[in-house]
Amino acid sequence: MRIARLTVALTTGLALVTACGGTDGGKSDGADAGGGPETIVFALAGLGPEGEATQAAIKDFERANPSIKVEVQVLSTDATQYLQQLQHRFVAGSGTPDVFKVDGIYPASLAKAGWLLDLDTLKPDLGAFMPSSLTAGRYQGKTYAVPWFINTEGLFYRTDLVKVPPKTPEELVAAAQAAMKANPKVKYGLAFEGAKYEGAITAFLAMAGGFGGKLDPANLDTPENRRALRFMRDSIHQTKIAPQAVTGWKEGEVQQAFSSGQAVFALNWPFVFSASEGMPAAGKIGFAPFAGTGATLGAEMLAINGKSAHTAASWKLIQHLTSADVQVKRALATGNPPSVTAAYNETLFAEAPYFKQVQKVAEVAVQRPVATNYPKISDRLQTMLSSVLSNLTPPEQALTTAASEVRDIAANG
Amino acid sequence: MARPSSDRLGYLLVAPTVLILLSITAFPLAYNLWNSLRHVVLTDPSSAGFAGLENYRALLGDPQFAQVLARTSLFTVVSVSVQMAVGLMVALVLHRRFRGRGLVRAAVLIPWAVPTVVAAISWKTMLDPQSGVLSFLFGVDTAWLAGEWTAWIAIAVADGWKTVPFVAIILLAGLQVIPGDIYEAARVDGSGAWHAFWKLTLPLLKPALMVALIFRTLSALLIFDVIFILTGGGPGDTTETLSYVTWREFLVESDFGGGGAVSVLMLVLSLVIAGAYTRLFRLDRREG
Repeated sequence: MRIARLTVALTTGLALVTACGGTDGGKSDGADAGGGPETIVFALAGLGPEGEATQAAIKDFERANPSIKVEVQVLSTDATQYLQQLQHRFVAGSGTPDVFKVDGIYPASLAKAGWLLDLDTLKPDLGAFMPSSLTAGRYQGKTYAVPWFINTEGLFYRTDLVKVPPKTPEELVAAAQAAMKANPKVKYGLAFEGAKYEGAITAFLAMAGGFGGKLDPANLDTPENRRALRFMRDSIHQTKIAPQAVTGWKEGEVQQAFSSGQAVFALNWPFVFSASEGMPAAGKIGFAPFAGTGATLGAEMLAINGKSAHTAASWKLIQHLTSADVQVKRALATGNPPSVTAAYNETLFAEAPYFKQVQKVAEVAVQRPVATNYPKISDRLQTMLSSVLSNLTPPEQALTTAASEVRDIAANG
Repeated sequence: MARPSSDRLGYLLVAPTVLILLSITAFPLAYNLWNSLRHVVLTDPSSAGFAGLENYRALLGDPQFAQVLARTSLFTVVSVSVQMAVGLMVALVLHRRFRGRGLVRAAVLIPWAVPTVVAAISWKTMLDPQSGVLSFLFGVDTAWLAGEWTAWIAIAVADGWKTVPFVAIILLAGLQVIPGDIYEAARVDGSGAWHAFWKLTLPLLKPALMVALIFRTLSALLIFDVIFILTGGGPGDTTETLSYVTWREFLVESDFGGGGAVSVLMLVLSLVIAGAYTRLFRLDRREG
């Protein structure tokens, strides 16, 4: 009898809990079935100037398309968390967000899971985009995401210390050592992201490009990659143009070292230009590929939810955000390099001439591997780089081990 | 006549607690156990399905996981031993009467009240090769966190700084309930301070020691935040612990099956340790 009562109490309670949990799932879906404007939900992570630029672009869009209302859903600024938040919505089968921003390393895995709309059905004008930026959005020959804006990691150099950007890694070492000797204020020859995180991979990829290497998951253990990895290690432990501290540096510390005038060279992203305003390095900044050919491409992509009920309106928003005028406005407000070729025009260069250099770097920049299980590959590469940069494992040995692990991961996914 | 209704009232009163416990403890536990027997990778929904013990087999057959297990255990044993010893010393000092004792007792608690993440970031700043206080004092620019042993020492110190006060306060409470007259009796019998410590203080402090030991062992075994902030598991993978692997499986690789298996193993390990401690403690009580 007592047990029966207890059971009743528990089941009633559980039912209540479940009922409460179930209501928030499809709340925002189908709210606009009536005659009013069509509402699309746009998920992004932007805050600060980026967020403001996006808001401004959305306002313009709503003015031009009065029948569409854009509801912005701000998710985490942390790339990993952002992805989780999206995944949870997709796993639950939600039709929102209709359209969303996603880091260029993820569209392949989201497409494989079947969560993205095949954009080829909307006949996109792919020729308008910077060619190298499109690969991140492609999976099995179809386009699932287009670039919103790109990012290029290349070599920053001090134009007052180095007349022309080095064409080979050896030239870079020589120039760095000479500049360090000549100027006591210059403490570091080279700064780069060496902490155990994604940034170490982008820095390595830029250097590898300078040696003719690339990140092919099926074949990482190449002579070019070995040389690049050895160069990276030696820069800390042998030629000593980079301080030991880079093993803990992310792009923020690298930018600090460069903007404050302490470093001759730095591998970093174009935000260094705007971040250096009013700092000792301002006005003396050059930007070029590493050793003439090495640069890493990052891209923030736009994709449409495969379950969205508003694909046409969502696509209109994407077209608006990737139109040359909107891209120029965004580039000037935030420093985000445009993803469409037409935006690299006189209007942009007149206000921010450095985008000419960014465009040059973007032309040779390459993507990280487009793989459905990239996070797993990234983890192995981060461990390899961390272990080599702290001089725990010889570069050749670490690369051989990581290469076979990555090959297995890529083959099994 | 009155009993049934008071019974009903009793059930009603505990029902919310039972429900909350069921929904936030029992349900996630059971769900995690179920997941650990399945193949659930969020980014690959098409491959989802029952996997039996496959996740466990993969884990236990992985030599890297064996390393993680060994290094987590080593860290637990070493750091908890040191923390217990230092904590006991601090507790003995705080138990003595001296001027400003109240102030010192309060000050000792401060590290424990600082959130771990905040403390870890402060330690990271102090260990910075360029601007850190340690490099300044020694006049070097060593990247402490890039060396395997220096990284572990840094982790142990950052963890100990925060947990020694916790041990000390628990032991201090234990010391305070030991009646003073037995020490007097010991002195009358001609026992020295050292002898009294080993024969009286330690045995009488055993309950408090056990509580501190259980708490510390289990949380050292689960250490995550200090490592996440200080080293990110590096250099290489030399500071990756069990919790770090769980985090990576769940949140980086979105593998709820593999992550579930690691966390179930951690649960089993925790239960075994807690069980062993309580057993040890009970046996001892029966003798006495």
